[in-house]
Amino acid sequence: MELFDVHFQKRGLIFDPRTKLFTMLTIVIFVVGGYGTVPDMLVFFLEILPILLLLTVGKFKKAFLYSIIYGTAQASMLWGIAFLPETVRYIVTLFAVFIIRISPGMIMGAYIFSSTTVSEFMAAMQKMHVPNQISIPLSVMFRFFPTVMEEFESINHAMAMRDIRFGGKNAMKIIEYKLVPLMICSVKIGNELSAAALTRGLNANAKRTNICEIGFHVQDIFLFLIMLVPYAAVIFTKLGVLS
Amino acid sequence: MKDTENKLTGKDLMYIGIYGAIYYVIVFIVAMLGMIPIMYPMLAVICPIVGGIPFMLFLTKVKKFGMIWILSVLMGLMMLISGMGWYALAMSAITGLVSELIYKSGNYQSAKSAVITNGTFSLWVWANLLQLFINRTEFLSSRESKVGAEYVEKLNALTPDWICPVLLGICFVSGIVGGLIGKAMLSKHFKKAGIV
Repeated sequence: MELFDVHFQKRGLIFDPRTKLFTMLTIVIFVVGGYGTVPDMLVFFLEILPILLLLTVGKFKKAFLYSIIYGTAQASMLWGIAFLPETVRYIVTLFAVFIIRISPGMIMGAYIFSSTTVSEFMAAMQKMHVPNQISIPLSVMFRFFPTVMEEFESINHAMAMRDIRFGGKNAMKIIEYKLVPLMICSVKIGNELSAAALTRGLNANAKRTNICEIGFHVQDIFLFLIMLVPYAAVIFTKLGVLS
Repeated sequence: MKDTENKLTGKDLMYIGIYGAIYYVIVFIVAMLGMIPIMYPMLAVICPIVGGIPFMLFLTKVKKFGMIWILSVLMGLMMLISGMGWYALAMSAITGLVSELIYKSGNYQSAKSAVITNGTFSLWVWANLLQLFINRTEFLSSRESKVGAEYVEKLNALTPDWICPVLLGICFVSGIVGGLIGKAMLSKHFKKAGIV
């Protein structure tokens, strides 16, 4: 699992986190949610947009992997099913439809997580006037994810020796032998983390500042305008201009 | 005095974040199984059951109004950011409040209401599956020209609409089972470790 990263070597094309969120919302509504009757070409564009975005930040390996998964699903939907025997065809279509619908959102999620820093995201939350009650736990969560994953990895290594893993002899013990220790040590680390954060004034009733500068640039406006097209298409269809 | 007692402090918000991270990671690990399309609807069973353990642990820290609700909204937000759809966010805002009220009715300490709370809290998992059912006809009909109309019909027959509310019920029941398991785990492990 990859979540917000802090260390970037090459950043590539930088979008404002708010633009990314808006793009995500559009994809989630029109592709994953399948809302409205938007022209096929537009939906197709929204489906491959996340892969293009991954390319802009130089995540070529990921983009390649996702385009193979998505491309296989799309190709089997378009051409493959005609050649398959009846029963296999249904299963393949079921899989393909599932992947075509679900994967664009996931790829967009992968893009957001691999191209945004925690600070940037928090700055965006602040600019969007998200209340502290939401934004503080969220930032703690993002800070804490890598720690939990790290602990999980270590526990995994230890438990692999006792053959407690998926497909191992003692697979049923996973919950008790992996998740419980994970929770116990995460809670302990979390207590220390919360003490550290309190000494740095998390409790203070002051407006928090952020060193990250975010803002809308040319590329943001460009992407925003493109993302408005599907909404416009829906409105125009409702008005009867497009049919 | 009473006012400040009931207000969420920075420490409470930290707890939400920490337990939220633990909860999310554990549910995420389990949800990897959903990458297999057939397993996807099964997540409505597995996630609430396994998620029950960290959630029951979280409930031991909840003493003020709002903590469960915020955690619920956070889960919905995470679903939106990671591209699982916006239904989870809409759903979690409501079920979070309901869970909050249920746990509040037990004065934030009743074990029975804690178990039911896990049932209602877990419903956001089901909301992720909603998108497979809503607007499905539109989605398939846009591809009808390519795959043929009777084809779409047969596909619909494979996953009929009534499965959706049934899954909701299953999700709730699994949440309660998860809550019971979590409760058992609490007394078996976490009390021993001195965390609860």
